[in-house]
Amino acid sequence: MTSAFYLPLGLEEGLETTVQRFGPAHDALELHLPVVTADDLTRWIEVLREARETNLAPLTTPQIIRSLDKVVGRFLDPGDSPRREAIDSLSRSGRFTIPMIERALDDAFQPLARGGITKWLVSELGSVHALDRPVAGASSAILRRAHGPEWMLQIYAGNVPALPVWPMLSAVLLKAALLAKTSAREPLLAPLLARTIAEVDDKLGACLAVVWWKGGSADLDPTAIREAPAVMVFGGEEALAGVSRHAPRGARVVLHGPKVSLAYVERRALRFAGLRALTARAAQDVSLYDQQGCLSPHAFYVERKGEVSPEKFTEVLASALEEASIHLPRGDVPAEEAARIQLLRAQARFEAAGLAAYAPTTVELMDPPPGKAVLGSVGIHGATKVVESSGSTSWTVILEDRARFEPGPAHRTVRVHAVDGPEDVARALRGGSVRYVEALGLEASGPERARLAALFTGIGIPRIAPIGSMQRPTPLGTHGGMRRLLPFVTWSTVEAAPASRVKPSRKSSSTKRAPGRRTSR
Amino acid sequence: MKKPGRYETLQSLIAGADWDRARDEEFDRHARGAFRDQYVRIPSYRAYVAHIGMDPERLEGWSQIPPVPASAFKTHDLSAATAGSEVAIFETSGTSISRPGRIRLGSTALYETSLLKNLKRHLLPDHARLPAIVFGPHREEAPQSSLWYMVDHMVKKEAKSGAWLVRDGVPRWDLADEILSEAASSNQPVLLLGTTLLYMAYFERLASMDRRFALPPGSRVMDTGGAKGLRTEFDRAEVEAAFADRLGIPSSHLVNEYGMAEMGSQFYDDNLVAAVEKRPREAGKRIPPWVRTRVLDPETLREVPDGKPGILVHYDLANLDTPLAIQTEDVGTRVGNRLTIAGRLPAAEARGCSLAFEQFVEAERRAGTKESR
Repeated sequence: MTSAFYLPLGLEEGLETTVQRFGPAHDALELHLPVVTADDLTRWIEVLREARETNLAPLTTPQIIRSLDKVVGRFLDPGDSPRREAIDSLSRSGRFTIPMIERALDDAFQPLARGGITKWLVSELGSVHALDRPVAGASSAILRRAHGPEWMLQIYAGNVPALPVWPMLSAVLLKAALLAKTSAREPLLAPLLARTIAEVDDKLGACLAVVWWKGGSADLDPTAIREAPAVMVFGGEEALAGVSRHAPRGARVVLHGPKVSLAYVERRALRFAGLRALTARAAQDVSLYDQQGCLSPHAFYVERKGEVSPEKFTEVLASALEEASIHLPRGDVPAEEAARIQLLRAQARFEAAGLAAYAPTTVELMDPPPGKAVLGSVGIHGATKVVESSGSTSWTVILEDRARFEPGPAHRTVRVHAVDGPEDVARALRGGSVRYVEALGLEASGPERARLAALFTGIGIPRIAPIGSMQRPTPLGTHGGMRRLLPFVTWSTVEAAPASRVKPSRKSSSTKRAPGRRTSR
Repeated sequence: MKKPGRYETLQSLIAGADWDRARDEEFDRHARGAFRDQYVRIPSYRAYVAHIGMDPERLEGWSQIPPVPASAFKTHDLSAATAGSEVAIFETSGTSISRPGRIRLGSTALYETSLLKNLKRHLLPDHARLPAIVFGPHREEAPQSSLWYMVDHMVKKEAKSGAWLVRDGVPRWDLADEILSEAASSNQPVLLLGTTLLYMAYFERLASMDRRFALPPGSRVMDTGGAKGLRTEFDRAEVEAAFADRLGIPSSHLVNEYGMAEMGSQFYDDNLVAAVEKRPREAGKRIPPWVRTRVLDPETLREVPDGKPGILVHYDLANLDTPLAIQTEDVGTRVGNRLTIAGRLPAAEARGCSLAFEQFVEAERRAGTKESR
C-alpha cells in the first residue's frame, strides 16, 4: 500500500481514507488516498499557517537551505530510499520507463545540488539573506527585505514525473506553508518529496500538506483557492480558468498553461563532422519524458544550404531516435494517442504524395508571406517525407519543405522544417502562437548564436537553450517566462538616514547590524 | 460527371440490404468497383494510392483498399464531383490551426438512401409515423452540416411534422416547453432528434425549474455526439436517467448514433429494435450490411481479433463521390457486426504542459459549438 498523500503529524488522525488502484491492471499499485472535505481543507490551512509561524518563519534561509540540500542529496543518491521509492512507484504506472524516471530525477535535482539552491535564490532576490533581514542591494542607499507569502496553494499537472520539485522547494525557500494538490495521473512524487523533507527537517515538514481531490469539485476548489495569498497552477486551459475565477483579489497567481518547445539549427552547424552528435542530442531532447513536457521540442527548423541538408538531417535524426528508443525506452502509449500518431503519419504520407493541398492553414491565411497576395497560392506546404519506426509508433520524423507551427501528438513525433532563416520561424509564430512556446533549442555558435538568440527572444520566446539540454532548465532561468520566486515576493525597504546619505559608508549600513524581527510580518 | 450506373446499383443494394444476412462476396465486389472508380475520378486519392505503392489492378480484396486519413479532407479535395456541380458541401469541424474538412457531393442520393434505411430500422422499427421535434437548427441554417441534413431528410420523408428548436444559433427553450407540454397532454408519441449536448442543456433548465413532461408511450429519441469526442461528454447512465426523469422516455427508446461527415452511413444502438422484437438488447452499435469496419492495432496497424480495441477504419458503400475507406482516430472494438466506440480517457484532470495543447485545440473547436459534421 502506497500513501499518495502527505499530511503533517496530527492532521492525519481521524482522517478517512480510501484505496484506489493505480496503473496497469496486472501491476497496479494500491494507493491510499484521504477523503478530503471542504472542512478539512479549511482546518488544514489554519494548522499549516500556525505551523509556519512557529516553525518556518523563525528559521534563517541558510538553515532552510541546509535541510533542502540534504533532501536534494537523497533524491540523487542511488542507494537512498527516496530515490529508490520514486523510481519503483513511478515506473509501476507504466507511463514512464525506469531509465526515464532516473533521468527525470537527475534533471530536476542535479541543478539544485552543490550550491544550486543558493545560486537560485541569490539570482532572484540578490542575497541569500534577503528573506531574513534588510540587506543592501546594488545601491547602498537602500536596504531591501523580501517576504514570501504566508502560505501557497500549488496545483500540479501529471505530464512529467518531476514537475513538483522546484515548485515545492520554492514554497519552502519563501518560508511559505504549502497546500499542494497532486495530479491523478502522477500522485506519487509530490507526497514522497514532502515526506522526505519532513524526515530531514520536521520543522519544514510541519508546514506542508500534499493531497489529491478531484479537479473541478464545486466546493473543494473554491475552498482551497478562496483564501490563498499565493497560487501556482500547472494545467490545461480549463483548470487555469477555474483558478482565475476563484482567486481572491490581490493574490499572487501564477498560471502555467499548455506549452511546447521548438528547435533551430543554423546552417554552419550543419556539418557532417558533428552530425551524429548533434542528432543524438536532438533525439535526447525529443525522447525525454516521451515529449509529454513543455520543454519537449515538437519541430526542428533546419536551415537550407548547410553542408548537411534538412533531408539528411531528417534521416540521421531518425536513426538517433531509434537508438534513443533502446537506451531511453518509451513508456506505455494509450490507444487513443497511438491512433492519433498513425493518423498523423497517414496524413503526412498523403501530403508527401505530391498532389497540391487545398490551401494552407488559417493561421497562414491571416498572415501570408510578403509578395503572396493571392491566398490560394501561398506556398502549398505539407510533408515531403515520412520516416517512422517500423511496426510501432515508437518514433516518427516528418520532413516539410517550409516552416509552420503545429504541435504534434507527442510520444516522439517531430517535424523537421526546411527554412531559409529565422524569419521563417518568426512568420510561423505570428498571430499569437508564440505564447504556446516554452523554449527553443538553438544550435549555432559565435556571433550567429548571439544574433539568433536576440532574434528569438525578440519575438518573445522565453528560453533559449542548447540542443541537448532543453530538458534540464537551470533554476536561474524562468519557467513559462516567469521567475520562480519573484512573482510571490513582496518587499520592505529601508532608506538610509540623511547622515549616511551625505557620507555613504558601506559598513554603516551593514547587513550585520540589522537582524530585524525574526518572524517576518 | 457522376456515373449513373454505379450510383443506381449501390442505391438499390443499400435500399434492399438484408439486416440479417451479411453478403460478403457482394460487398467485396462492389467495394472494389467503387474503389477503382474513385481511383480514377479523385486525383489526390490516386496520387496517394500510387505514393504508397498500391496497384489497384492487384487488389485481392476490399480490406486492401487504402483508407484515407480523415484529416486529409482538411487539406485536400477528395471529391469526384466536378467543382461547381456539387449539390451539397458538408464540412467537418475545423480548429484555429486547421481549416474544416470539406465533403463535396455530386449527388446526395446514396447518402439519403443509406441514412433513411438506417434511421428507419433503428428508430422506426414499428413503422410509426410521428411528429418530430428537432433539438437543433433547420438544415437551411446549417447548410454545411451533414447531421442537420440527415435530420431534415428524415423529417421530410418519415415524420408527420417537424419543429426545429434552434434558430439563429439560439435554442428556443420556451418553444420546447410549449411543444413538449402539448405532446405530454396528448396521446400522440413524438420523435426527438438532436445532439446529446443540447438535450442535456435543456434538462438542466428543466431541473432548475423543477419541471418534467411525461411524453406518451412510444415516444423515442435519437441522440448523437455524446458517445465520443467532446470532452464534455456525459456518462451514458446519466443521459439515460435524465431522459427517463425529465421526459419519461425509457432507455429502450433512447437511441444513440455515431457518425461523421466523411461517411455516408451511420452506426446506431439497436435497443429500440430489440425492444420491438422483444429480445434483450446487445452491446455496441450495429454496423450496417453495406459497411465494414476493420479494427487495427494502434501500434502495428495489424487487424486485431474481435473484442480487442484498436483504430477504426471504415469501408462504406454509401461513399461514392468521396473515398469509401476512411481511417479515423477513433478507438473501439468490434464483435461480429457490432461496434463499440471507446469513450475518451476521463479528462477531469488538468494535464498541464505539452499534451494539453491537443486539448486546447479541442477546446477551441468546441467553443465554436456548432455541431458541424
